[in-house]
Amino acid sequence: MRATPIGQPVDRVDGRIKVTGAAVYAADNKPAGLTYGYIVTSTIGRGVITGMDTAAALASPGVLAVYTPFNPLKLFAYVQNQNDESAPPLQDKEVRFHGQTIGFVVAETWEQARDAASLIRTTYQQQPPVTAFPGPPAAMEKADTDAEGPDTVLATGVASVAQAVAAGEVTFTASYSTPVQHHCAMEPHATVATWNGDHLTAYTVTQGAVLSVRRLSETLGVDAAKIHVISPHVGGGFGGKWGNWAQVPLACAAAKALGRPVKAVLTREQVFTLAGHRPLTVQNLKMACTADGKLTAITNDGITSRGFAGSWSESVANWTLTTYASPSIQVTKTIVPLNLGAATVMRAPGEANGSFALESAMDELAERLGLDPLEMRMKNYATFVPNTGKPWSSKHLDECYRRGAEEFGWSKRPKKVRATVDGDWLVGTGMGTATYGASRGLASIKVRLSADGTASVSGTAADLGTGQYTVFAILAADVLGIPVDRVRPELGDSTSPTAANAGGSNSTCTNGPAVQVAAKAVQTELVALAVTNPKSPFHGKDPAEVVYRDGSVSSGGLTMSFGTLLTTCDVGSVEAVGTSPRLVDPEHGFRSFGVHFCEVRVHRWTGEPRVTRWLSVMDAGTIINVKAARSQIQGAVVMGIGQALLEATEVDQGTGRFANGNLASYLVPVHADIPPIDVRFLDHPDPLISGLGAKGIGELGIVGVAGAIGNAVHHATGVRVRELPITLEKLLGS
Amino acid sequence: MRAFDYAAPSSVDEALRLTKPGSAFLAGGTTLVDLMKLDVLTPDHVIDVNRLPLNGIRLSDGHLRIGALERMSAVAAHPTVMVHFPVISRALLLSASGQLRNMASIGGNLLQRTRCDYFRDVTAPCNKRQPGSGCPAQTGVNRTHAILGSSSSCAATHASDVAVAFVALEAMVVVRGRGGDRIVPLEDFYLLPGNTPQVENQLGPDELIVEVRVPVSPLARQSTYLKIRDRQSYEFALTSVAVALSLRRGVVLDARIAAGGVGTKPWRLRAVEDALKGNPAMEKTFSDAAESAVDGARPLAQNAFKVTLLKRTIVRALIDVAGVR
Repeated sequence: MRATPIGQPVDRVDGRIKVTGAAVYAADNKPAGLTYGYIVTSTIGRGVITGMDTAAALASPGVLAVYTPFNPLKLFAYVQNQNDESAPPLQDKEVRFHGQTIGFVVAETWEQARDAASLIRTTYQQQPPVTAFPGPPAAMEKADTDAEGPDTVLATGVASVAQAVAAGEVTFTASYSTPVQHHCAMEPHATVATWNGDHLTAYTVTQGAVLSVRRLSETLGVDAAKIHVISPHVGGGFGGKWGNWAQVPLACAAAKALGRPVKAVLTREQVFTLAGHRPLTVQNLKMACTADGKLTAITNDGITSRGFAGSWSESVANWTLTTYASPSIQVTKTIVPLNLGAATVMRAPGEANGSFALESAMDELAERLGLDPLEMRMKNYATFVPNTGKPWSSKHLDECYRRGAEEFGWSKRPKKVRATVDGDWLVGTGMGTATYGASRGLASIKVRLSADGTASVSGTAADLGTGQYTVFAILAADVLGIPVDRVRPELGDSTSPTAANAGGSNSTCTNGPAVQVAAKAVQTELVALAVTNPKSPFHGKDPAEVVYRDGSVSSGGLTMSFGTLLTTCDVGSVEAVGTSPRLVDPEHGFRSFGVHFCEVRVHRWTGEPRVTRWLSVMDAGTIINVKAARSQIQGAVVMGIGQALLEATEVDQGTGRFANGNLASYLVPVHADIPPIDVRFLDHPDPLISGLGAKGIGELGIVGVAGAIGNAVHHATGVRVRELPITLEKLLGS
Repeated sequence: MRAFDYAAPSSVDEALRLTKPGSAFLAGGTTLVDLMKLDVLTPDHVIDVNRLPLNGIRLSDGHLRIGALERMSAVAAHPTVMVHFPVISRALLLSASGQLRNMASIGGNLLQRTRCDYFRDVTAPCNKRQPGSGCPAQTGVNRTHAILGSSSSCAATHASDVAVAFVALEAMVVVRGRGGDRIVPLEDFYLLPGNTPQVENQLGPDELIVEVRVPVSPLARQSTYLKIRDRQSYEFALTSVAVALSLRRGVVLDARIAAGGVGTKPWRLRAVEDALKGNPAMEKTFSDAAESAVDGARPLAQNAFKVTLLKRTIVRALIDVAGVR
């Protein structure tokens, strides 16, 4: 038997084409006769468009069409909720946010389209945009908005969670807030649409080709079978490419109307307004515990913004339901609609912000009780799912804590704040718990063995830079018993069998088992060919006597590789589709777990916080490719460092403009901000999620990061910052 | 970006002759092209000056002379600059990114436009871009804006790092016009916004910076540039300080200090310099002296922290350069 590649550090199978520029992204496609679309955006934050003078634009060189709400492309209402805008662009004259799509210019060149767009004169009836929560965080509990009902767990004999909190021996109340943030994927949103009769081919950025087909089918009124979405490579998504934003329907509908292919790419500034953001949130947290630190009640009243143009908002308080044991827990969600673009999912939507509050509060409470932060968490370790009482499918968070504490040297941590000074730097350490839900959906995968000795593995799945290609190759190679480099994964094509979209940390746990099923099924097909094809040396044998192993078929002392067998039989390939069903297990709670330990330094004169040491220990089930998995966690920690220290989209309150909606002013971390990030995986398979035992890792790594950093900043300085990002002005007093 | 004519003259005289209303000089392009893409600048005629003979970094007549077309990276790495003017090298290396430093010229660096996000977004009013349209930064998003030299018309900071070092070292710019050269101290070259924030400096529309001259001084050898920002690279200064110090037996003989990130132009801090002179080089002296740095400060809602941060930045830079605690 070959040694399994599962769990080994395997280089990305798509690495070479990416670093050499050979990988084809959506905007790289240039079908013959291509035209270029440019989206025109609103320059007010709220109101009604009263007129658009497009005469100069239409007369501008190379212009083929100018679409506006007065001359719209016909688009039908969206049906499936894709966490993006609720309605297709240009179908009404209402302006819901600054930077909204109000026109689409198509021309022979991109420059011509852009120049013509600048000639359009739009008049509005303006209204003052609503761009902030109606009061200071603490006053937001009773915000008069479309609140959802509470999610409540009550201990026996407790009448209300308020009563449970009030009865606590020690109580703690605090409010935590987080700003608008943006995904900032490197690749901007792009769609290239080309029609052949009534068949559409769309090259588009997407976290799931089937999502794009569905959206296009609905809004164009075209049978899904006539839509082919191709998206083999996506330059980062983080949730921002789950939805099919305005450029998708516009490019496709305009291409149909004009009878020419159309490309539409958002500018970076447009990505900020038109392609979603992480919403504003506030969490008003109340906790009660015994004098020795056992939680007795928690309430977390979460407030989230949503855009008037969309329906999505963050269930920011829900992480409190499932993290620490407490006999009584209540979370609520209040949604405040704002005149900002549609809010959408962004890496660990709810958990990344939710954990900032709870992980900060756990430390604040521990400090009040004189407990070590880790001890506080172990005292409240959730052996069962806190809000349901169900057992976990698997949970080794305690092992993460122990191992992380040991490797990080947590026991040497001074109990007092401001206890460590190195030169002019105040040094502190902090920790934060990570957990993220795990699930396994329905997926089908096709495996094809070819006469050239290679195997292809295809499904509609997406690789956003996550390593999904390599996961497919590793798992197929493992089951087929062939080297990884002889497997050719094919992703992002809507004509492939339907696999999991890239979202909810779902790809590997859902698609992985399906790859295994398909790679097994194709062996049966190969054996069937071997015994039935007249040219096969195994012709006429009982299939039960023909064995597939390590890329070859054997029987009665004769062994032949599948490539040779297919060549001998003069058959190009054999293939099989394997399906792995959705996991339905209402008896257990499924989550990935982990812990972050970090060191932060704060300059005693100028206050800037710098992360200087990092260790993450993750319990995410079976790790398929330890190299890519480590990158996933490291990338998430980097994003979390941005969330904690740098990233905030500033809203200009008068206009609703994102004042810093560009990559010069919206600060994401640079290399110099990032210390070496050590990542450890426990690699304990989850016995219930699948035979493979893999849980998700895409989002897990960002959860708990901001909390850990906030806790380390507090340990270094004695200053507790409850508003992200933790920028130096908040620490100058220290 | 709008259509424009393009010319690439090979002599300064020819370049000056080509100027007319609506023309703009193009050197490294790191400001001009950027702002043309945003429609903030819409020149009809672009005069590419990269072929002009304005190179060279040399010591002569008691001055460091830097040709206006020298790239930031070349100046930063020049041995003379590194040894005799460490503050210049350091200010350059803490600017922008490697790619930008390889493109951007020294002359262009001094003329770079503000990073105020209202200036850079043509959908917003801005007195600098559109005189009389208003200044939303006064009450809007203004965390990064100026606390010194601002007016009710404009609070945009000057973005250059190396200009701060130059102002501290009393550098001059050589400006060539059709009538010949004039030499202007850089500090005076820049103008305060007042009611005319669109006029940023003394350069006429038919003039070109051809050289920067920095006086050689013993001070410059003991100098540094400290830049405070949220992220550790590739960001404009929240505050920055260029410091040059001359010490004898632990006493400050002379000092030159200028600040960036806080002023509408590079901000020379003479009162701080005066307060240092004759006093022992120690933290207490530095903290006391730094108090006067913010005289006349006009903080806005989100940038009041710069008052404290500037003083702390000065103390930290002085501690660094004096080598004392």
